[in-house]
Amino acid sequence: MLKRFLRVPTRLLCSCLLLAFMIAGCDRGPKKLVVGFSQIGAESEWRTAETESIRSEAAKRGIRLQFADAQQKQENQIRAVRSFIAQKVDVIILAPVIEPGWEPVLREAKQEGIPVILADRGISVTDLSLYVTLVSPDVVEEGRMAGRWLATKLNGKGNIAELLGTPGSSPAIDRQNGFREAIAAYPDLKIVKSQSGDFTRAKGKEVMEAFLKSGEKIDALYAHNDDMAIGAIQAIEETGKKPGVDIIIVSIDAVRGAFQAMVEGKLNCTVECNPLLGPPIFDAIEAIRAGKTVPKKISLKEQLFEQSQAKELLPTRRY
Amino acid sequence: MKLDYAQSRQPFALPGWLAKLIWPVAALALLLAFNLFFTKQFFKLEIRDGHFYGCLIDILNRGSQVMLLSLGMTLVLATGGVDLSVGAVMAIAGAVAAEMINVPAMPFPLVIAAALAISVLAGVWNGLLVGVFRIQPIVATLVLMVAGRGVAQLITGGQYTTFTDSRLVFLGNGHFLGLPFPVTIVAVMFAITAILTRKTALGLFVESVGDNETASHYAGISSRTVKFMAYVFAGFCAGLAGIVAAANIKCADSNHIGLFLELDAILAVVVGGTALAGGRFYLFGSIVGALLIQTLTTTMYMRDVSPEVAPVPKAIVIILVCLIQSPAFHQQVRKLFTRKATA
Amino acid sequence: MTQSAGNTTLDYGRERARMRIASKYIPLLATASVVVILYVYGCAAYGPRFASLRVLVDLFKDNAFLGVAAIGATFVILSGGIDLSVGAVVAFTSILIAAFCEHHGVNCDYLRRSPDAAVAFYRYRHLATHHLHPLLAIGVSLVLGSLFGALQGCIIHFYRQPPFLVTLAGMFFARGMGFVIHPQSLGIKQPFYIAFLNDIKIPLVAGVDIPFTVMCLAVVFLVALFIAHYTRFGRAVYAIGDDEQSATLMGLPAGRTKIMVYTLAGFTSALAGVVYTFYMQSGDPASCIGFELDAIAAVVIGGTLLSGGVGFVGGTAMGVLILGLIQNLIIFNGKLNSWWTRIAVGLLVLVFIAIQNVVTAASRRTTRAAAG
Repeated sequence: MLKRFLRVPTRLLCSCLLLAFMIAGCDRGPKKLVVGFSQIGAESEWRTAETESIRSEAAKRGIRLQFADAQQKQENQIRAVRSFIAQKVDVIILAPVIEPGWEPVLREAKQEGIPVILADRGISVTDLSLYVTLVSPDVVEEGRMAGRWLATKLNGKGNIAELLGTPGSSPAIDRQNGFREAIAAYPDLKIVKSQSGDFTRAKGKEVMEAFLKSGEKIDALYAHNDDMAIGAIQAIEETGKKPGVDIIIVSIDAVRGAFQAMVEGKLNCTVECNPLLGPPIFDAIEAIRAGKTVPKKISLKEQLFEQSQAKELLPTRRY
Repeated sequence: MKLDYAQSRQPFALPGWLAKLIWPVAALALLLAFNLFFTKQFFKLEIRDGHFYGCLIDILNRGSQVMLLSLGMTLVLATGGVDLSVGAVMAIAGAVAAEMINVPAMPFPLVIAAALAISVLAGVWNGLLVGVFRIQPIVATLVLMVAGRGVAQLITGGQYTTFTDSRLVFLGNGHFLGLPFPVTIVAVMFAITAILTRKTALGLFVESVGDNETASHYAGISSRTVKFMAYVFAGFCAGLAGIVAAANIKCADSNHIGLFLELDAILAVVVGGTALAGGRFYLFGSIVGALLIQTLTTTMYMRDVSPEVAPVPKAIVIILVCLIQSPAFHQQVRKLFTRKATA
Repeated sequence: MTQSAGNTTLDYGRERARMRIASKYIPLLATASVVVILYVYGCAAYGPRFASLRVLVDLFKDNAFLGVAAIGATFVILSGGIDLSVGAVVAFTSILIAAFCEHHGVNCDYLRRSPDAAVAFYRYRHLATHHLHPLLAIGVSLVLGSLFGALQGCIIHFYRQPPFLVTLAGMFFARGMGFVIHPQSLGIKQPFYIAFLNDIKIPLVAGVDIPFTVMCLAVVFLVALFIAHYTRFGRAVYAIGDDEQSATLMGLPAGRTKIMVYTLAGFTSALAGVVYTFYMQSGDPASCIGFELDAIAAVVIGGTLLSGGVGFVGGTAMGVLILGLIQNLIIFNGKLNSWWTRIAVGLLVLVFIAIQNVVTAASRRTTRAAAG
């Protein structure tokens, strides 16, 4: 009985082995540079644009990219980094979903001599040698730029509603702090409402509806990303008010949708948050391979875009 | 000797369905009363642009997605199963609708039909796994819950497909008779479901399969077919909810449409009186349950409670409503009072 | 079958007995062979890098906390119930420990102001540091987890509420309370924790070692095996899962067993949270969303029936390994983008659940045929 039972898995085993050897035997190209990229997920257009930029850059430079999507879970990212260490990749790119919790796995990478590059978000570690460099947009400066622009536009006086990003995420924290830093000099600028829209359009719309119904006078809206702003614009329109005119709106990311909204006169200003991290990351990788020292933080330059520039710049937007 | 049956009957005996409905309705009334006294602006109703505008209208609008889901979920729970994939099916339907409406010269009915057809297909998949292959409903629908969002992202290519077609936008944002259009959709679906289940034998079949599958089998009802049809219907309702959700924000957000709404739908159905083990179901109770959950959520927003902490009061209310419906709890309370009386 | 008339019955009895034992363990053997097949496929497809000791140890390292939680969930599912609050309790425990170790401490001011301050201060001097000692924090969280599980068990048993619903409400409650303790993730920099991680491990070759978390998993696994097969409680769990009424009529303490099962599940979820803090050196109230479904999938793949009464703790351990191997194979492939990853994981889980269903159904048919 047992022998008969074991016949099936044994046959299955042999055929699997055969198939696997055939597959393994096929991949015999020249030795390429192998880079492991642990990405957070695909939860927003910005994130997909970042992934696409890194992928296309790797393909352009002839580097083999091992891609791991973590479904926004830290344990999946740690699993991926460990797997990359076992695969003996040459470099690891990590876009950390949250700040703490990376020390054990990065220590293993350091032991094996694999350099780690952080993409787009920072981590909190006591030993800074655990990563080589952080390539990211300057998120705090984005908050500051938005704050400075809004202060000028409102002439230093008004009630501001704020739509926050996902609580605890470093972009949300940094954009919050940067904005408050910029408007600290204007005592008549008050943030009367501040709640999380989770970086999504639907939540942004829902929370804005609640803001508008609360009875507080709102002169301006500061949304941590364009998606929430677009959702909020819909909410404002439904109350009969005019977004961009009755309520000044400034947001961050500068995606195509934001430019479209500016052309329609509904969004007033958007601050760029550049997701095209591919070229600077791979430049840094080449510098590391060549043995050059790389700065600890590589910040991407960003600009602010106003309504007046939107129409001519819309066709040039790549994401 | 004529036996006086009238005396042996308990005073104030309500018909079964009304007795079950009283508790969720009472809970909803209590919550609304709380808001009446403690949350300003909650009951303020105005007329703007020819339609009603206010917090209550928002509850109806936002809650329409959960109400649609709970209609389908009621039948699935009544057969003794559960469907965890309805959120993912919403995302798929929204993705299909958004992609197709952007194709130039695509007839509008075809767009809606395609989105609904894909969601019915998802329901067929679930129905096959549960009804025909007899896999446990939790794990069978878990598969589509995980893979479904991947399918939705595959359809949109990882992008947020936006659209501006006024007909599709009307489905989510338009108004009919002063109320948001999704409410009309819910009302129509409720009417159709009520007629199909109560005026035909379908409702009886569903209840009997959920109550005792073996007995139904011997009575000649094919439990496989009934369960299959329940999941197909749940898929259809999820498709409708997905189209409404996408139309609401004028874009197909494959990651967030319907996220965790399946849990809200299950809670709505159970609070409404349908037992998780299957058997008798109460469609109107599910609608009231969905309204209760949405009112809770909106109350949290209006009172500036952080959305992460909001699940705590939700959990307490759920447990209370379920305890109130439990006969064992009634016995305990009765014992307390009788003891006090004799003491 | 031998020729002698007297021995024929004996042989027939032995053959029947052998078949009965074999068919009981067939689902377990099926799961084991799936693990082996997956591993061998990985070795063959991805060469010596997959076949390394590092990958094998990483498999246990990365899934230690899932393993601990799934083992607790096995008992609940064996008793015919379900526990959806696992993920929320893990997250809650992790942020509780992190908050205790990093932020809060025992308020010692009153100790210094009271007349017996000197004596009290001396007696409680280890508490008079700014933070709560990690061992105390771990103890408190384990007790809280068990109490939470017991509360759920009481509501389920005394008020006859469905476990799905009560544990779903429990999940919402624990998730929200996690955010009340601290709204964001918190790293643990307490020296005791760091010392634990660096000192307690079994070194193997080539820089690979077995860390404390894997040792925890091994201990939990062995204890669970003992409880399931060598204690009265374990036998009662199997009996209640199969048919609660018959078990009660036979005199087994159904109510007490059910409440203890949920207490055990709460304890293992809290323990999984503790293992999580060792693994990540941080606590995060937003983590482990959907974790309970991973645990349930591991239990089902391992051969335990969701209706209860049938299954093994060993099966769950192998189910956890299968889930880990699926993820590992996808990462080693490295070519699937985000959405194909989700679809692949869903389909692979379905394949293994289907295999398990088929094998279990076939073995039950064989048992029934042999008995009948």
